[in-house]
Amino acid sequence: MSLPTALIADDEPLLREQLAAHLARLWPELQIVAQARNGREAVEMFEDLQPQVAFLDVHMPGMNGVEAARRIGRRAEIVFVTAFDQYAVEAFRQGAIDYVVKPIEGERLLDSVQRLQVRLRAAGGSPPPEFDTLLDRLAREMQQRGSAPKYLQWIKASVGNAVRMIRIEQVVYLRSDAKYTVVAWEGGEALIRTPLRELADALDPECFVQVHRSAIVNLMHVDRFSHGPGDSGEIHLKGRSERLAVSRSCVHLFRQM
Amino acid sequence: MTPSAPPAATTLGHWDRAQLVPTRRQLAVTLALAVLGAVALNTVTLNPFVEVLGEVIFVSIVLLLGFKVAGAWRQTVLPRWVAQLLAVALGAALSPLVVQMLSVGGDFSAFLASRRMVHGYVLVTLSAALVGTLFALGALYRERDAQARTDALQFALERETLQRQAADARLHLLTAQIEPHFLLNTLANVQQLVDSGSPRAAPVFQSLIDYLRAALPQLHQATATLGDEERLVRAYLELMLMRMPDRLAFTIDIEPALRALPFPPMALLTLVENAIRHGIDPGCDGGRVEVGARRGTGRDVDLWVADTGVGLSEGAGTGSGLRNLQERLEAFFPSGASVTLSAQTPHGVRADLRVVAAPDA
Repeated sequence: MSLPTALIADDEPLLREQLAAHLARLWPELQIVAQARNGREAVEMFEDLQPQVAFLDVHMPGMNGVEAARRIGRRAEIVFVTAFDQYAVEAFRQGAIDYVVKPIEGERLLDSVQRLQVRLRAAGGSPPPEFDTLLDRLAREMQQRGSAPKYLQWIKASVGNAVRMIRIEQVVYLRSDAKYTVVAWEGGEALIRTPLRELADALDPECFVQVHRSAIVNLMHVDRFSHGPGDSGEIHLKGRSERLAVSRSCVHLFRQM
Repeated sequence: MTPSAPPAATTLGHWDRAQLVPTRRQLAVTLALAVLGAVALNTVTLNPFVEVLGEVIFVSIVLLLGFKVAGAWRQTVLPRWVAQLLAVALGAALSPLVVQMLSVGGDFSAFLASRRMVHGYVLVTLSAALVGTLFALGALYRERDAQARTDALQFALERETLQRQAADARLHLLTAQIEPHFLLNTLANVQQLVDSGSPRAAPVFQSLIDYLRAALPQLHQATATLGDEERLVRAYLELMLMRMPDRLAFTIDIEPALRALPFPPMALLTLVENAIRHGIDPGCDGGRVEVGARRGTGRDVDLWVADTGVGLSEGAGTGSGLRNLQERLEAFFPSGASVTLSAQTPHGVRADLRVVAAPDA
């Protein structure tokens, strides 16, 4: 019978070393056939070497451990390694998915090793049936937590020869101007190429409202609204002299409470 | 406004509609003054009371409208209150004349020929001008009073907001905690160095101690300097270098003369942590972090944290941390402080701080 094989994936070299050292002591027969620096490498190395066990750090650049585990699927015994992730640890515990926490404690790792040895001996002893769905859910959850907030947080605009990153709350209003969009912010004005219509969809509607076909204003910078000729109106801005036109169809936004 | 009108943020109409319509109170006061004026005039004229009353009410309403129209007119030639008083004077001169002209069928010479009518006109005009001006001044005073009250409220609100922000910033500082993920991962690394008997264990321990000393809020020094901040940043970057030796490189270039500059603790560290968290850590290839400080013109000090990491996406939610930083710097450097962020080519983020040192620094 051939010796058992394993893959270790962690972006921090000392931690790969540490896990390998612990395993060498607790499970001398285990052959560490590959050490990967990120999730993508882990999947590639797995495809090349087909180890029986994969120790995957949850937090890795490029592709996280949960995502890598989904790619590897049931072709290997998966053990997650994590330093601190309450949500993931809770999910692992509920789903009876094996995991160890960093810094690694020998005894806790020994439990995992013994479970792995039993499972490998049973050969084909499959992980719990909900394994896949649990990983899918966890991966989705992590993506949502890690992904950007729903709305635009920065406007990147050329100012001189630098690309300024303007915090969205500093933006006073956006106005379309021929080919460009003018960004008026606390520190000045800048031109960007993104059309106003596209920006309108990416901005938080709680703060940014379109008051005219060609203007979106940040309500945080509005001082007051006054009625203009006809049924239109205009917006006076805090600390600025210019006023913004409010078209007839948008006046209702400023009706008294 | 029609859709074809220019979208520019310029003045729209010439009239401030909200100012145009008299308030109920103004209307009531005007009518009351008119009735009183008619009663008074009735004692010195021979005309029937109803006629006098009609004339005075007409004149009063004209004055009120003149006052309102002049107030609502957006013009820049005259101060608003001057325009309003002029409108009242003009109304007082013209509207009694209109009444007199009506009574003589528009024949101006007939009006001039009648001593009685000219007397009546002068009397009404003078009284109207007097009462109208007093009324206008009263209305203007009330308006200014209301404005002053609004301003005072606005001021109080702003002061309250500033106080709250300062308190928030302090609170944020007090609760700024070391991330468990960072601490546990770092400890795991240190443990491995110790277990393997590495000579790097001792200096790494020192970095960890330096970092914890600065990052534990109850150990904050009240008199922190840029030199302290440099040590903190170096300790943090050394720890990160231990953790990701294949992905991180860094340089710290702070002008030695600036080390004595009083500096808010963790202000640079916040930016360095952001550079690692959002720039270096998410990328498989990592990158380089450069931290620097140089004396600018006058009392300006320029500081920067630049990285060649993956860069910030337009949706990255680090804005609130940056706003906190801006507020802390403004509180610490009342003469001036700014934080600007820019994107680097081909990728990465550069944060520039400019602070104006206190004169004695």
